[in-house]
Amino acid sequence: MEELLNEVVPQEDLERFEKKFAHELELDGEVTIETKFEYAFCLVRSRYTNDIRKGIMILEELARVHPDGRRDYIYYLAFGNARIKNYSDGLKYCRAFLEIESNDQVRSLEEYIKKQSDKDMAKGMAVAGGAALVLGGILGLGIALAKNKQKRNN
Amino acid sequence: MSSTPYNYNYIFKYIIIGDMGVGKSCILHQFTEKKFMANCPHTIGVEFGTRIIEVDDKKIKLQIWDTAGQERFRAVTRSYYRGAAGALMVYDITRRSTYNHLSSWLTDTRNLTNPNTVIFLIGNKSDLESTREVTYEEAEEFAKENGLMFLEASAMTGQNVEEAFLETARRIYQNIQEGRLDLNASESGVQHRPSQPGRTSLTNEAPNNKDQCSC
Repeated sequence: MEELLNEVVPQEDLERFEKKFAHELELDGEVTIETKFEYAFCLVRSRYTNDIRKGIMILEELARVHPDGRRDYIYYLAFGNARIKNYSDGLKYCRAFLEIESNDQVRSLEEYIKKQSDKDMAKGMAVAGGAALVLGGILGLGIALAKNKQKRNN
Repeated sequence: MSSTPYNYNYIFKYIIIGDMGVGKSCILHQFTEKKFMANCPHTIGVEFGTRIIEVDDKKIKLQIWDTAGQERFRAVTRSYYRGAAGALMVYDITRRSTYNHLSSWLTDTRNLTNPNTVIFLIGNKSDLESTREVTYEEAEEFAKENGLMFLEASAMTGQNVEEAFLETARRIYQNIQEGRLDLNASESGVQHRPSQPGRTSLTNEAPNNKDQCSC
């Protein structure tokens, strides 16, 4: 799973499908579903968060207007969200998919997202725990100093 | 995560291509898990699998990209051809149309990979003899004409699945031994992981090709 999520779209491919998208838009004032999907498929594999977000927006629209391709859109919505560490939405899409179809490809994405999100949570707890320790230390030191001062004053 | 740097000497990149429903993912699954996936849904976009094999006492990690056969993914999955050392091109011996489309898959492969990419033709579902639509001889002839390696296999029984992956690796390894593959070129699809410590690289060039950034 990691390899799939770390794979980055070649720049020339992203540009090619971006051009195709822009070309159709300019020529006809609208873009075919096929071209939208191809462009979004490249965007969610980009190294840049803004591209991925743009890809997610296109996929969300496609999922609404084109039910026939919905399983592809929902999978890549989960995938794109996983790549920008938006784990709660990623899991939401995985679960929505698995409710309709039992699928190992989606299940392994779901497992990966769960693991990453648990890891992040543990990291967050460690940071918070560390901060509490430091704060406790400072407080303790302060109290000790104050007591010391009191003693000396007596 | 393991603490040893690498437990293999080489990485070979493979792709699996071919029409929808010919059994590409089942072949991959049979190879990596040694199991048959009975009801296998259409792959979405691309799947990935790895396995470490041995050729000539060298450990080789195969990184296998299994592409979706659905037409809507055809244009976008071309990205994955680049830098493949091996391409497994699959058709279904019980569906003539999947065989007829091979020349188009072959054209894509030739255009998007390097001249040394090993292309292996697999006629899958060899267990379904009673519904066969493509003879062994015919496909063998096609493979010969186009310089492809060829086997009929069955992802269900596992027959010849292992062989197809291993034969491809042996041919790639042979190309390395004979100096036909430039291991420093990313499009070769091969990465070398020297296992002996202390082995140094002889390249002195500084990586100064970054100033041509087009951004």
